[in-house]
Amino acid sequence: MSQNSRFRHNNRRNQQKHKTGQDSNFSEELNPVVKVFQEYALELDDKHDRYERIVKLSRDITIESKRIIFLLHTIDGRKNNRSKVLEEAEKRLTKVIEVNFKSIALELNGQDPYQYRCAYSPGLQEFIEAYSFMEYYKSGADEKPGTMSDWMFLQQKMQYERDDKLNTITDESQKTIESPNQLDIETDVKTVPQKFEFFVDPTEYILGIADLTGELMRRCINSLGSGETDVCLETCKVLQQLYSGYISLNVQRCRELSRKIYTMRQSVLKAENVCYNVKVRGGEAAKWGAVFENKMNDDLDEGFY
Amino acid sequence: MANFVNLEVFSNYQKYIDNEQEIRENIRIKVREIEQLAKEATIQLQIIHSDLSKIDGACQAARKQIASCAGVYKQLSEIIPHGQYYRYSDHWTYITQRLVFLIAMVVYLEAGFLVKRETVAEMLGLQVSHTEGFHLDIEDYLMGILQMASELSRFATNSVTMGDYDRPLNISHFMANLNSGFRLLNLKNDGLRKRFDALKYDVKKIEEVVYDISIRGLRNETTQPTAEDTAANETTSA
Repeated sequence: MSQNSRFRHNNRRNQQKHKTGQDSNFSEELNPVVKVFQEYALELDDKHDRYERIVKLSRDITIESKRIIFLLHTIDGRKNNRSKVLEEAEKRLTKVIEVNFKSIALELNGQDPYQYRCAYSPGLQEFIEAYSFMEYYKSGADEKPGTMSDWMFLQQKMQYERDDKLNTITDESQKTIESPNQLDIETDVKTVPQKFEFFVDPTEYILGIADLTGELMRRCINSLGSGETDVCLETCKVLQQLYSGYISLNVQRCRELSRKIYTMRQSVLKAENVCYNVKVRGGEAAKWGAVFENKMNDDLDEGFY
Repeated sequence: MANFVNLEVFSNYQKYIDNEQEIRENIRIKVREIEQLAKEATIQLQIIHSDLSKIDGACQAARKQIASCAGVYKQLSEIIPHGQYYRYSDHWTYITQRLVFLIAMVVYLEAGFLVKRETVAEMLGLQVSHTEGFHLDIEDYLMGILQMASELSRFATNSVTMGDYDRPLNISHFMANLNSGFRLLNLKNDGLRKRFDALKYDVKKIEEVVYDISIRGLRNETTQPTAEDTAANETTSA
């Protein structure tokens, strides 16, 4: 008797709770707790999937940025290849902005960029490193005093417009109504075509530039090998300036930055040691370098490709 | 090339970071207020482990503290710039989880069902979706629920000590539902996953309690209430 009443009761409850449920016939799925958790599962999956997609995109950026850095290292004063290499590097960097960062920006459109920071931060930092390294060479190439650009500059470069047909068609109807707001790019996402950007976090920028010092140190040492002693002294000076810039920062709770500053100090010390050697036995090194000039070049290229 | 380094970048960044640190300082003040309120609510709820008759009073007292938290959360949400929830969220995730736990506990004690995310968000004056502003993160909600599971396993043993043999059965049923709910989630190898792995020990603990009282015939065999029946009864009486 009590059994029967219990079952009746159960059925009634279930009907009330799950009128809207789709083909859930098992008692397990009729459970209200399970029902809400199915929604939570979808939400979590969506978040995790987006995260993984961004990680993949970021990895592509990392790989391409590393290749561009290696390419830039092949610039050699004796080969006169500076403008050619720079042109290619710049072209490839622009492509990364226009293709890879756009894909990430699409994924992050309407999301909180800080939530997925860990997913895209390695790629972004590597890219900033490559970009600033390119700018470093450029500032030497042009006669005008070029300096490194800040995050605002990159931010301006990473503005995109949505170009898929579907969206423009659906938004077409709103065009007339929305047009007065079209000037307001930042806030109005419904304008045609839809504008969005990849958010460049200043902290990521600073961390990316910190990695640049490693490349500068490498360049300093390579230049010693090829006998370009003036380059050694020059990169060393840039390194020292960067280092003093970094130690002037007062940032709490950023372990990543202090770790990078420590590494930077090692790089600065190495470069300073190179300069010391140039000064003390500079003439000898240059002569020695000239003798093995061709052989050194081959080694250099092999390392980078 | 020697002029390559632009030291202005560093001074600009310093300004940027100073601004951020100031916001963080303000957040810490508000979070501390919430922590204090949550602590009081936690203490009030401890009475359930020693006196079953005081449960209703404890729940009411805890609800008051929780309600005051909503006001502080509002002030907190005003500090956070729009769309930067996750930039600062590490300050309050812990305490939000704690509050989810407290709310879930109160709702279970009063009504016997699992509190929904929407309800928790409403009680704390938060939004459900991140697009609407300062919201209750789903992972914080789930973490809070898992904390409640541990507390319930403790509560089950203590209610037996206090002579209530039916309550562990309700809790056991409730936990079984919760467990099957959590099994639906595809968890990554993160904090939530680790916390979820502890759930099975809580479930096991309660099952042992149920086993102990069943095998000794301590539970009332004639009525044999299911969790849902009592849950329904408690809802009507509450």
